[in-house]
Amino acid sequence: MIPEPKELRTEEMLLNMGPQHPSTHGVLRLVVKLAGEEVLDVVPHIGYLHTGFEKTMENRTYHQNITYTPRMDYLHSFAHDLAYALSVEKLLGAEVPERARVIRVILNELSRIASHLIFVATGLLDLGALTPFFYAFREREAILDLFEWVSGQRFHHNYIRIGGLREDLPEEFVPELKKFLDTFDHRVDDYQGLFVGSPIFEGRARGVGVISAEDAIAYGLTGGSLRASGVNYDVRKAYPYCDYETYDFEVPLGERGDTWDRMVVRLEEMRQSARIIRQGLERLEPGPIRDPNPHFSFPPRELLATSMEAVIYHFKLATEGFEVPPGEVYVPTESARGELGYYIVADGGSMPYRVKVRAPSFFNLQALPVAARGQFFQDLVAILASLDPVMGDVDR
Amino acid sequence: MRRDQAKAYAEEKGIPIREEHGMLHLVLPLSEFKIHMRAFKEMGFNYLADVIGVDYLDYPEGTSWQHPERFAVIYELVSMPGFRDGDGSRIYPRVYVPEKKPRLASVTDLWPSANFPEREVYDLFGLAFEGHPDLRRILLPEDAEGHPLRKDHPLGETPTLFNDGRYIDPASFRAGLRGKDKGLTGWRGGRRKGERR
Repeated sequence: MIPEPKELRTEEMLLNMGPQHPSTHGVLRLVVKLAGEEVLDVVPHIGYLHTGFEKTMENRTYHQNITYTPRMDYLHSFAHDLAYALSVEKLLGAEVPERARVIRVILNELSRIASHLIFVATGLLDLGALTPFFYAFREREAILDLFEWVSGQRFHHNYIRIGGLREDLPEEFVPELKKFLDTFDHRVDDYQGLFVGSPIFEGRARGVGVISAEDAIAYGLTGGSLRASGVNYDVRKAYPYCDYETYDFEVPLGERGDTWDRMVVRLEEMRQSARIIRQGLERLEPGPIRDPNPHFSFPPRELLATSMEAVIYHFKLATEGFEVPPGEVYVPTESARGELGYYIVADGGSMPYRVKVRAPSFFNLQALPVAARGQFFQDLVAILASLDPVMGDVDR
Repeated sequence: MRRDQAKAYAEEKGIPIREEHGMLHLVLPLSEFKIHMRAFKEMGFNYLADVIGVDYLDYPEGTSWQHPERFAVIYELVSMPGFRDGDGSRIYPRVYVPEKKPRLASVTDLWPSANFPEREVYDLFGLAFEGHPDLRRILLPEDAEGHPLRKDHPLGETPTLFNDGRYIDPASFRAGLRGKDKGLTGWRGGRRKGERR
C-alpha cells in the first residue's frame, strides 16, 4: 500500500518560452508564470532582432533609407515604404501624381493580403490545423510573383521613391492581377470554411484571450486586434492618405475581442482589400508616376543618354541626396498590424536628423499579458498568434 | 474639436504653441508637465500613440525651431475615433529635459501603453522616467553600455578600403553630406551659387 500524501504540494512555476520557439513567430522570449496550467502572468522580453535601424537611418540620405524601411516589417513591407515616403513627401511638399497614388494603393492592399494570409496560416498552424497553411501559401506565392514582376523583388520591393514610384508597372501585371482576383474571393470562402464553425476551432478560440475595448485602448492596441474589440478605428478611414477616402470599403468589426474575432476580422479584411484593388484597377489611367521636380526626383532613365543636365541631376541625387526643409512631421498609415508612421525630424540637410518608427507590433505586444492572464497555457500560443506580432517590427 | 480645446487650454496657461504641417506641438514646462498631461487625459485624449525621444545636441542653429535643452520627449496623444465620443484629434505635447538631470515623470499611470515606449526612450537615450513600474532596458541587452541614439554615441563603422591604401572614412564622408566639412565631394551643404530652385 502506498501511503496517502498528507497534503498536495503546489507552487507557482516560472517557464521560459523562446526566444527560439516555433510558435513565437520570430525571436520573442516570454517568461510565463504558471499555476498548474493557468497563466498568472507573462513578461515579454524583446530586442533579439534589434538592428538599430533608427540610428542607421540618421546617417544615410533620405533616398538611401528606402532600403531600410521594408526590412522592419518583412510581411507587410510595402506599408513601411509608403509610410516613410509619405512623411518625407509631406516635409518636401511633393505632389504625387494620380497614377502613382493608385498603384501605391493597389500594391499596399496586395501586400496586406499577403500578410493576412501568413497570419491566418500560421495562426491556425499554432492551433494544430496544418491544411490552411499550404492553401494560404499558394495564394501568397501568387502575390509574391506579382511583386517580383513589378519590382524585381519578392519581399523588400524598394519600389517606392520619394515623390512617386521607381518605374511604371510592366504590361503583364494588370492581366495577371485580374486573373488572381478572379479566384481570390472564393478561396477566402474556402479558408473560412476550413476553420470557422469547426468545433475544435470554436473551443480553442471562442471566449479565449478576451481584450475589452477599454483595455485595448489603454494598452495601445491598433489594427485588426483593436477592431476585433469593437473599436471602429482604421487609419484609412480616420486619417485618409493616398485617396483612401474615395475608395468604397467597409471596416469589419468584432464584438467580443477574443481570439476568434481577431482571426475572423482579418479574413474579412482580405475581402475588403480585394475590393479596393478592383476599384484601383478601374482607376488606372496612363500618366506620370513621379513628381517631375528635379530636386528630389530622379530624371527618367531614357533621358540619361541624351541630356547632360539629367546626368548631372542623377549624379547629385545619387551621391549627395536632396535637402529636406527643417521641420517635424508624422503621417499615420494603416499597416496590416495597425497604426504605422514615421516621425521624422529634419534639420535641413540631406539626412534625417531623427527617425522614429511608430511600429504597431511593438505596442500590440503590450496587450499580450492582459489577454493571457487567467488563460490556459496552451491558449497562450493562440492568443499570441492572434495579436499578430512581427518581430522585425517590434525590435526594429 | 478636442484639438481646439487643447489649443485654448495651452493659450490660457501660457504654453508655447507651434502649428506646422497640420500638427499641433505644445511645449510643456518640465516642472508642471504631469499636471498638463493629466489635463489632456481628462479632456478626452484617451490614447497615447507614441513616446518619441530626440537628442537635439547637433541640431543646427538658424532654423525656425529653437530647442532650449538637449533632450526632448514628444508624446503623441489621440482622441481615439470610433470609441465613445472620440473625434480623432491629435496633439503632440513635448517636454525638454536637461542633460545634467535627465529625469522626468512617467505617464504610465495615465496611459498604460506608455510602458514599452518609455522603456525604449530610457534604453536608447538614457532618460529616467520617475514612477515607471518596470524601468529596464528593452531593446538592448541588460549589460549594454551607453545609449546609442544619443548623438555623441559612435556609430562604429569600418572605413572602406580601396587600392593603393586609399580609403573612405564614413564619418568624414557623411560630414560632407551634412555640410559640416568639405567631405569627398567638396560640397559644403546648402544651396550652391547660381542654383535655381
